[in-house]
Amino acid sequence: MAFFRTIGRVVKRELRRMMIRPLYLFASVGVMVLCTFFFLTIMQKGAPERMPVAVVDKDHTAISRRLCHEMEATSSVTIALVTTDYTEARRAMQRGEVYGILEIPDGFYADLVAMKRPELHFYLNNAYTVGANTAYKQLLTMCNLTSGAFQREVLRKKGLPDYLIMKRIQPVAIEAHMIANPWGNYAIYLVSTILPGILGLVVLMLTIFAIGFELKTRSSHDWLRTADHNYTIAMIGKLIPYTVLYLVLGISCSLILFRFLHFPVNGSLGRLMLGMVLLVFAMESMAITIIGLLPTLRDAISIGALYGMLGFSLSGFTYPVMNMLPPFQALANLEPLRHYYLIYVNEALMAAPAINSLPHMLALCAFFVPALLVSRRLYHALVYQNYPLK
Amino acid sequence: MRIYRHLYQLWLKLKESTWVFAYELKRIFTDPGVVVIFIVASLAYPVLYNFIYWKDNIENVPVAVVDRSNSPESRSFLHRWDACPDVTLTDYCCSMSEAETLLRDQKVHGIIYFPDDFAQALGSGMETAHISLYCDMSSFLYMKAIYLSCNQVMLESMRGVQIDRYEAMGIDQEIAWSLVQDAPYTETALFCPTGGYAAFLIPAVLMLILHQTLFFGICMLGGTAREENRELFLLPGRRRADSVLRIALGRGAAYFLIYIILGVFVLLLVPRLFHLPHIGNWYDVMRMYVPFLLATIYFSMLVSTVIRNRESGIVLLISTSLIFLFIAGVSWPQQMLPRPWVYLSYFFPYTWGVHGFLHINSMGATLAGTSREYIALWLLAAGYFLATCLMLWLLGRLSEKKGADWLSRKSGVITSVR
Repeated sequence: MAFFRTIGRVVKRELRRMMIRPLYLFASVGVMVLCTFFFLTIMQKGAPERMPVAVVDKDHTAISRRLCHEMEATSSVTIALVTTDYTEARRAMQRGEVYGILEIPDGFYADLVAMKRPELHFYLNNAYTVGANTAYKQLLTMCNLTSGAFQREVLRKKGLPDYLIMKRIQPVAIEAHMIANPWGNYAIYLVSTILPGILGLVVLMLTIFAIGFELKTRSSHDWLRTADHNYTIAMIGKLIPYTVLYLVLGISCSLILFRFLHFPVNGSLGRLMLGMVLLVFAMESMAITIIGLLPTLRDAISIGALYGMLGFSLSGFTYPVMNMLPPFQALANLEPLRHYYLIYVNEALMAAPAINSLPHMLALCAFFVPALLVSRRLYHALVYQNYPLK
Repeated sequence: MRIYRHLYQLWLKLKESTWVFAYELKRIFTDPGVVVIFIVASLAYPVLYNFIYWKDNIENVPVAVVDRSNSPESRSFLHRWDACPDVTLTDYCCSMSEAETLLRDQKVHGIIYFPDDFAQALGSGMETAHISLYCDMSSFLYMKAIYLSCNQVMLESMRGVQIDRYEAMGIDQEIAWSLVQDAPYTETALFCPTGGYAAFLIPAVLMLILHQTLFFGICMLGGTAREENRELFLLPGRRRADSVLRIALGRGAAYFLIYIILGVFVLLLVPRLFHLPHIGNWYDVMRMYVPFLLATIYFSMLVSTVIRNRESGIVLLISTSLIFLFIAGVSWPQQMLPRPWVYLSYFFPYTWGVHGFLHINSMGATLAGTSREYIALWLLAAGYFLATCLMLWLLGRLSEKKGADWLSRKSGVITSVR
C-alpha cells in the first residue's frame, strides 16, 4: 500500500509541475493537434492533381490544339502556358511555374498524315519529383494515345470494326494492382508513418526535458525525497502522467486515421495499436538512456534531436532501407520508428499473420534494456548533481 | 554643421554595435551547446544525409514471377524486364499463394502474373493479352520502380507484336512501323537526369539544415540570456529601450559572419563533393543566400524573444522541421496545398529560400530569372528586422517597469519549481 501511496505522491508532484509550465501541454497536445491537422489538410486530395505544364505549339493546327484540349481534360495536368518559344517555356520551368513541357514540332500535322513520323518532345522538371512524376505519367499516356488515335483512324478507313481495332492497338495490357492503396493515395502512404514519427519525437524530447529539468534546476533531491529515495518509484511516478497523455494521443491518432478517415487496415488494428503503445514506451526508454548517458539537459536535448530526426529517414518509409549503405541498414534497427513502420506494413497493408509482427514488437521491447542499464548512472547523477548546469 | 554633429552621434552609436557583435561572438563560442548546433550540426548533417541517400536511385527491387503461361513470349518479356536496372526477378513461383507469402514476408516487393492464355491471346492476333502486376505500396519508390519499368517493357513488346500482326495482314514493314508509332516521342529529364531521390531531396534538406540550426541556435541563445537575466539582448548600463537598433544589428552581424562561412560549405561545396545537381552560378547562389540568411536570422530572433528557457525552443519546435519542408511545397507540390497554408508559408523565409536555391542551383536559373523569391526574401528580412526591434523594445520597456529580474523570473530556473 505504501508503495502505491508513494507513487501517488510523485504523480501528484509531477502533475503540479506539468501545470506550472505550459511547455508540456503545448509540446505534446498542441504539436500533435497541429501536425495532424496540417498533414491531413495538405494531403486531403490524396494524389497530385492538375499539375501545371507548358505546351510549345509550333504547329498551330487543329490537331495540335486538339492535343492540348485533351490534355486539359485529364485530371492530373493542366496547361498553364501555351507558347511558340521553347526558351520561354524553359524559363517558366526555371521559375518553378511548370513541371513539364510538351513540344509539338513545326509541321506536325502535315508530317503525321504523310506518315513521316514527326517526333513529339517532352521535358520534365526533375528538381520537383512529385509534380514531375505526375506530369510524366500523363505526357507519356498522351503521346502513346496520339499514336493510338492515328492508328485507329487508319484502320477504320481500312474497314475494320471498332472492337477489333482496339485489340490491335493494344495487344498487351498491364493490370496494375496497388496493394492496400489502390488510389496511390499519398496521405495513406505518408501520414500513417509521419504522425507516429512526430509523436515519437515528442515523447523523446519531452521525456528528456522532464528528467533533465530536474537536474538543471537542482530539484532532483526534492523529487527523490518525494519518492522515498527509491529510483524505480521516482521514475515510474514521474513517467505515469506523461505516458497516459502520450498513449491517449497515440490511440486517438490511430483512431482518427484508421477508424474516422478509414485508412486501410487489412490486418488487425489491435496489433497496430499495440505497436503504437510499444513505440511510446520504446521512445521513453531511449529518452532515459540518452539523459542517463549524458546527464546534462543541454547535451541530451541536442543528441536527442539528432537521433529523433534521423528516425524519419532511417525508418525507410520514403527511401527504402534495402537501398541504403550497409552501415545505415544496421543503424536503422536502432530507431524505434523503423520497427513501428514494419509493424504498420504487416498489419495495415499486408494483413500478415501475427508472427510476422512479433520480431518487431520484441525489438521495440528490447529498447527497455539500455534504459535499465543506465539507471545506476542516472541515479548517481540525481543524487550527487555532479554535472554542469547549462 | 548641425547635420555633421548628428551624423557623428549616429556613428558613435553604431560603433557600439561592433561591441555587441564581438560580445555575441564570444557568447556563441563559449557556449558548447550553441557551438554543437551552429557548427557541428551544420557540418555533420549534410554529410550524414548524403551517406544515407548514397545510392540515389532505387535499384534491383526484388520481384516474384508467377508464369502460368510458361511460353516463349512470357519468357522473353521477363528477360527484358530483368535486364532493367530497377528490378531483379528473384523468385519463380508455381502459384499465386506462394508469391503472396513472399510478398507478405517482404522478401519481394512486387509480383508479376502471366495468365494461362497469355500466349494464345497474343498468337490469335485478335485478343488483348493481360499481365497482372502487384505492387507493394509500403514505399511509393518500390511502386514507381516496378510499374514504370514494366510499363516500358510492355510498350516495347507491344510494338513488336503489333508489327508482326500488321505484317501478317500484308502491310509493308515500314508502313507498319509508322502505323504503330506514328508520332514517336523523346523524353528528356531536365536538371537531374537520373531522376534520383537524393538529387531531388538533399538540396532542399541542405537549406533546411541551415535554417533549422540557425533557428534552434538563436532560440537557445535567447533562452540562456533570459535564464541568466543577462540584460537580455541589451547593452548594459544603457536605457534599455534606447539601444535596440544597435543590439539587433550587432547580434545579427555575428550570426551572419558564422553562417556566411557555413553557407559556402553547405550550399557550394557539398553539392560538388557529393555530385548533387549544381548547374547554377555560385555567385548567384550566394547572392540569393544573403537575404535568406538575414530573413532567417531576424525571424529566429523574433521567435526567440518569447522563448523562456534554453532548451524549450528545441523541445517545442523540433517538429517544425517537417512542417517547413512540406509547407514550402518541395516534397509535396505547392499547387496541392490549401490556400490558407500557402499564404502562411509566405511568411517563412525557408519557403522562398529553398525555391530560390533550387531554381538557381539545381535548375540553372539566373538571379534575374528567380527575382520573385529574391525580392520576397529582402522584404521578409526587412520586415522581421523591424519586428525584432519592436519586440526587443517592448521587452526592454516591460523589464524596466516590472523590475530588473522580471525576465529571468519567468524562466523558472533561478527559483526552482517545487
